[in-house]
Amino acid sequence: MAADTGATSGARPSSATETTGSRGGLLGPMRGTPAIQTQGLRKIYGHGKAAKTALNGLDLTVERGEVFGFLGPNGAGKTTTIRLLLDLLRPSAGRISVLGEDPRSRPELRRRIGYLAGDFVVDGRQTGADLLAYLGRLRGGVDRERVAALAERLDLDTSRRISGLSKGNRQKIGVVQAFMHAPELLILDEPTSGLDPFLQQQFVELVQEAKAGGQTVFMSSHVMSEVQATCDRVGIIRGGELAAVEQVEGLRQRAFRKIEITFAQPVDPAEFAGLAGVSDVTADGPVVRCRLAGTADELVKTAARHTVVDLLSEEPELEELFFAYYAHGEGSRR
Amino acid sequence: MNVFRKYLRDNRRSIIGWTIAMSVVSAMYTSFYPTVGQNPDMAKAMDAYPQALKDALHMQDLTDPANYLASTVFGLLIPALVIVMAIAYGVKAVAADEEAHTLDLVLAHPVGRGSLALQRVAAIGASLAIVSAAVLAVTLALRNSAGLSAVAPDRFVAVCVQLLLFGLVYGSLAYAVGAITGRRGLALGVSAGVAVLSYLAYSFFVQVDALQWTKNLSPFQWYLGGEPLKHGLQWGDSGLLLLVSAVLVAAGTARFTRRDVAV
Repeated sequence: MAADTGATSGARPSSATETTGSRGGLLGPMRGTPAIQTQGLRKIYGHGKAAKTALNGLDLTVERGEVFGFLGPNGAGKTTTIRLLLDLLRPSAGRISVLGEDPRSRPELRRRIGYLAGDFVVDGRQTGADLLAYLGRLRGGVDRERVAALAERLDLDTSRRISGLSKGNRQKIGVVQAFMHAPELLILDEPTSGLDPFLQQQFVELVQEAKAGGQTVFMSSHVMSEVQATCDRVGIIRGGELAAVEQVEGLRQRAFRKIEITFAQPVDPAEFAGLAGVSDVTADGPVVRCRLAGTADELVKTAARHTVVDLLSEEPELEELFFAYYAHGEGSRR
Repeated sequence: MNVFRKYLRDNRRSIIGWTIAMSVVSAMYTSFYPTVGQNPDMAKAMDAYPQALKDALHMQDLTDPANYLASTVFGLLIPALVIVMAIAYGVKAVAADEEAHTLDLVLAHPVGRGSLALQRVAAIGASLAIVSAAVLAVTLALRNSAGLSAVAPDRFVAVCVQLLLFGLVYGSLAYAVGAITGRRGLALGVSAGVAVLSYLAYSFFVQVDALQWTKNLSPFQWYLGGEPLKHGLQWGDSGLLLLVSAVLVAAGTARFTRRDVAV
């Protein structure tokens, strides 16, 4: 009902000043505080000797209107960070600001947030429609047509009991509840785990639409293609600290591929070592492995002098790419 | 009141089940009065029981309608069922929901933790009120036909009000332990342990002089000790039941609003 009017009416006045630039329509609500800001955020679980530090002084800024990918190995503190943003956990030290407010200040702040966890679990003894109606009421009412449209788009039957749904279909309900009120900020924790490729694609489109609509998205993910298709920037968290922040575009330009060539007979790896864009050459019998940045032309032509049985080219995980870049010392921003 | 309504709605089958069970039990015990309480052979058989056992089971002179009701319908199975139901609901309010990882989603919505907890506690109270009302309706309906008209209707109301408050104590305890610790098993164990101890304090410990005092700490004593079936609503006992519940709910909620919600 009236829940969403704040966001839309906030955007309206800026249409009168359309001349401000390519993204001028969004600059109005984007000005001011960042969507998410943490300063010196620490979280320690337990007490005394059993105490375990999950976050060790996290400084993170997510600007309004951007899609920010939050990456890192398991146990690095991604979920802890997300739960702190939602006030499910309380910080041991440091400050958090979400949409300009302390998450602890008042529950109404969460009206402007949509949340989805990768392991979306709810009581199965209700239908999807029952659950969505309840969550909508908690939000002070949401547009029913929007809910129906989202469900149809994801091919979700909301009239069935949740206990009878597959993991993928349950996760669809999670996607609907996170997006149904068009929140200013979406906080997504491994949102597509368990979704099939079709749904991952639908999800990517939803995130792109949210971004086009001026919504901010903060998501942790392991799916490289999804991050590349949606994120403006990515941050890597390691050991409870932000290791680096980088533009996705910049990363992609430095992207390398892992190449594995199987020859009919063993070959001398030194033949490949000096080629343009080729590094880390190793040989294992007839198999030569290397990294390739840029064009594959020289490598392929060199390989073609021998009998090539098989050739594999693999995209690295985004984390790998990230750390490869930083290991080479080009950027050292923390 | 969304959380309140949802809690009742989610538990509607369970509430109906408990209501039917308690109605049937009340009806059976009540309609046995002519064959048990008014049967001279039964009374003689009772006389042969050791006094200590009769004290423990609160079985004095079962020919008296108020005594019969207090030691059968309202003294045994019904309070036991009310305790089990109240503890189950109290554990469900926070701890079970939290351990099932289903609490996160609701708390990620614009609902305060205190508000969520108190609405669910209110729903537990409402559920207990429903079953207490059912027990009252059944016993009142059978009052004349079972030959219990010597007990005035307002006495039935009194004992059912105290039954509701009695259940609330155990529901609040289970809620509080769960809200403080977030652990379902602990909430269940502590509440069940307290329930057993409080029954023993009311029935068996009183046989030991050194343990007599424990009776006054038992919610069973606050529920039936003042004999509401004979003397009407006991304001002091009722107030005590309500106060203990309120303290437990306040303690549980205070901690719940400040702590981490477990992953």
